[in-house]
Amino acid sequence: MKSVRFITIFLLFLIAAFLLLAGRCFYLQFLRNDYYYSISTKQQQKRTTQKPQRGVILDCRGRVLAASNKIQTIFAEPRIIKRPKSISTKLAPIMDMGAHEICKLITESKNPGFVKIKVGAEPNQCTAAGKIYGIGVQSDWQRYYPMGPLAAHVVGFTSVDNQGLGGIELQYDKELAGSAGQNTFFADSLRRPIRLKQQSSVLSDGVGIILTLDATIQQFARAELLKQYESYEAESAVAIVAEPATGAILAMVSLPCFDPNDIRSAEPNNLRNRAITDQFEPGSLLKPIAAAIAIDAGVVEPNEKIFCEYGNYRGKGFGRIGEYGDHRFGNLTVRQILVRSSNIGMAKIGQRTGKETLYRGLKLFGFGQKTGIDLPGEADGLLWPVKKWTGYSITRIPFGQEISVTAIQLVRAFCVLANGGRPVRPFLVKAMVGNDGQLVARRSSLVARAASHGARVTGHESRNRASAVGFIIKPEVARWIVTDALVGVVNEGTGRKAALEKWQVFGKTGTAQLAKSESRGYSDSDYVASFIAGAPARNPAVVVLVSIRKPNIKLGKGYTGGTVAAPVVAKILERTLNYLENRGL
Amino acid sequence: MVTTIKNNPLPDYIAMVVIFLMAVGTVFVFSAGANIGRELDLQRFYDFPGLRQILFFPLAVTVMYAVSCFNYRKFSLADGWLKSPAGFLLVLSLVLLIVVLFPQFGTEINRARRWLRISIGPVTISFQPSELAKWSIVFFLAAVCDKFGNSIRLYWKRFVPAFLVIALVAGLVITEDFGTAVFISLLGFLMLIISGAKLWHILTPLPFAAIAFCAALIRSPSRMQRIAAFLNPQKWADSAAYQANQSLIALGSGGLLGKGLGKGICKYGHLPEDTTDFIFAIIGEELGFVGTATVIGLFIVFVWLGILVVVRCRDRLGQLLAGGIVLTIAIQAALNIGVATVVLPTKGIPLPFVSAGGTSMLLCAAAVGVLLNIAKQTGIKNSAAENAENVQLKIEN
Repeated sequence: MKSVRFITIFLLFLIAAFLLLAGRCFYLQFLRNDYYYSISTKQQQKRTTQKPQRGVILDCRGRVLAASNKIQTIFAEPRIIKRPKSISTKLAPIMDMGAHEICKLITESKNPGFVKIKVGAEPNQCTAAGKIYGIGVQSDWQRYYPMGPLAAHVVGFTSVDNQGLGGIELQYDKELAGSAGQNTFFADSLRRPIRLKQQSSVLSDGVGIILTLDATIQQFARAELLKQYESYEAESAVAIVAEPATGAILAMVSLPCFDPNDIRSAEPNNLRNRAITDQFEPGSLLKPIAAAIAIDAGVVEPNEKIFCEYGNYRGKGFGRIGEYGDHRFGNLTVRQILVRSSNIGMAKIGQRTGKETLYRGLKLFGFGQKTGIDLPGEADGLLWPVKKWTGYSITRIPFGQEISVTAIQLVRAFCVLANGGRPVRPFLVKAMVGNDGQLVARRSSLVARAASHGARVTGHESRNRASAVGFIIKPEVARWIVTDALVGVVNEGTGRKAALEKWQVFGKTGTAQLAKSESRGYSDSDYVASFIAGAPARNPAVVVLVSIRKPNIKLGKGYTGGTVAAPVVAKILERTLNYLENRGL
Repeated sequence: MVTTIKNNPLPDYIAMVVIFLMAVGTVFVFSAGANIGRELDLQRFYDFPGLRQILFFPLAVTVMYAVSCFNYRKFSLADGWLKSPAGFLLVLSLVLLIVVLFPQFGTEINRARRWLRISIGPVTISFQPSELAKWSIVFFLAAVCDKFGNSIRLYWKRFVPAFLVIALVAGLVITEDFGTAVFISLLGFLMLIISGAKLWHILTPLPFAAIAFCAALIRSPSRMQRIAAFLNPQKWADSAAYQANQSLIALGSGGLLGKGLGKGICKYGHLPEDTTDFIFAIIGEELGFVGTATVIGLFIVFVWLGILVVVRCRDRLGQLLAGGIVLTIAIQAALNIGVATVVLPTKGIPLPFVSAGGTSMLLCAAAVGVLLNIAKQTGIKNSAAENAENVQLKIEN
């Protein structure tokens, strides 16, 4: 039986071959498993990133200032498109665009992997376009600002890839941004996901931010300021409306402005929020503060008469001091010095106060340091330390020279006065709210986080706690400055244009000469016209600052704070107080 | 006349092993047929290899059972050339091989015209004549060698004609399917060897075969490339050795226990031909070494049972047929697994019983049916077997 033997031998050979193959399998699958497993993960997995929705920014009444919408972007991958013409012809009717236009986009793209064809495409366009080879659809979040330039400097703006670049958007970028979801999928050869392999981080949308800003008040302030800004052909202008009891900023306008929806065409210089970044010599606006410090220190009495040298005060070490408008005042009470805005009177008060006391007082009012408002790019202002003071300083600082301040610092200082001498810290963020509608952070914790001087908590019950922090000046001094001296400024002094029938306004004008940029001394044609006021005087609900830089003096309409800024403040005050009254506050 | 001995479990064992392999195959063709671009649609189930295989599985079992009831001795040429189905089978496959070469009938898939397509209503049945030719060679040679007995040793009178038949079939196949042609020739020679042809007879056509082999290699750049890719897989990992490389990744990443049934990733476009030639790699990925060892083990058991059939069979035709059938299936399996584990260069040979493909599966099932019939009759001495032995003795005398 030769055949049987042959067959048996052949078949035994085959069994041996099978055993060898099993050995090979063992080698591949057991001994080299790690090696092949690492290769397989490399080629068979795909990481995807789910972009989080950026948090909304709302005003204090829930009106949307900034929000993110999902938009579909149709893009092409030029390197894999061999015939751009035929693709463009196919795409043109879907997209309602010209074929040559699409073709040009594809062929002239600098990035071989990605060129945007259309941003914000309709769902049916996406479905149809996605089927064409080389065309893809990608969904993105797009930031939009429904109120446009209204609160642009406060809200800020974002880059194309949704990074906060200014204002609240920058300050709270981390909170607003949320965190992306990172998933690893098993992928097929076309890199389409098959199923989830690993979730390394969970998608979490950004938290929403509620501002203290009221869009209505912001609108009042902006409209009134813009009118004056344009009619006086000024270089720039700022307006701030604040609630003195809390430091909440109700409106903050900086002109010229920009549209955050179209950031590319904005003038870079206009992007900065002048209310917190631009420093200027405050001029007369500082007088009530310096007077308050002096009275608080007990060096002058409110009704004490001070001789004002008939408009010409000179002495060794501090040069000559004159009055604005060449007034020749004789004896003036402190109240009259403030009402009629006498430089010489203030210089004498300063001399009595002394360097140390004045410096410490101004420091306590917050000059020469950031207010800590939750906006990026705030300037410190400039208040020289006492050892750098010259003989001029003690006579010039009390009427606002040799010191640089920001608008927000001034508002804060006046809020302190209006608040009876209690410290106030301006702030913009009222609360942060998660996606589930739960409060993430209140004002109090935000303040604690910022942890710096003069921390304060909002809310009525917390007022008592704030008093524990102490007073910057005695309440009665603050009350006298506000209800007596500053009311006088509006009723009988330089600020008459800010008077209102319905409410008793208190305020102070300021007309600061700008220093010459080329040489020493002050310019004769460049002024900062400011007015800061509050109402009602008995229980101030708001403090308003308007500061207009370089009103065109050639127009012959005036340039002083009382002329240029006070009417704007009056209108803002009137409209705001009416509005707050009707709102029930 | 034919009586099945009740205590002969051999055919049952063979049937069990084969049906188990088919079941594994059906499951894995279904698994590997998964596609994220397409959902299963029962209305057009014939378009899905996974669903098609579910239909073929019971069909193949039925065919296997039906053929096992058909007495294998009918293949004998003892009663004359026209009485045996073996000759008709050969003629039929020759005709189909010629027909498939005409573009009107043959269908090109993967740049080779190997398929005949017959439309029955909405269903199109594809049929590969070379598969049939392979089996017809085995059956025909077994029958011829049985008829001529030891006279196969005669060179001119017996060996050359048999060789020419092999050459004719292989020649028809070689134009479109090089691998199958080589396989058919190999099977032919093995059949001649086991039926007792002299070794130096076999050696004479080898130079011609070698020349034909080399000519075919040189004429086709893709074949050269495949050989080159096999010798240097790293260099060609993205082109010619892509499949081999992916097959290794699929097997290797499976590990000892595999990623779990249905949880393989390679089948999603990474490994081409995942339901046919490389199904073994998918088994390795999803069930790990346990799965591959089981499949190899089943084939070893099949071969072992085949040996038992051949040893127990008292009839020369039965021995040759059984030997041929087991050899054909086992060699195919070994080649397929060798390709999947990259021991051999990439060649499109399906894994018997397991790979998707109706023609291969049904014909293998039919061949196993014949084997089962032989197994049923082992140990029985009947008149036909005695006759055959008598004839043999006469020739030996």
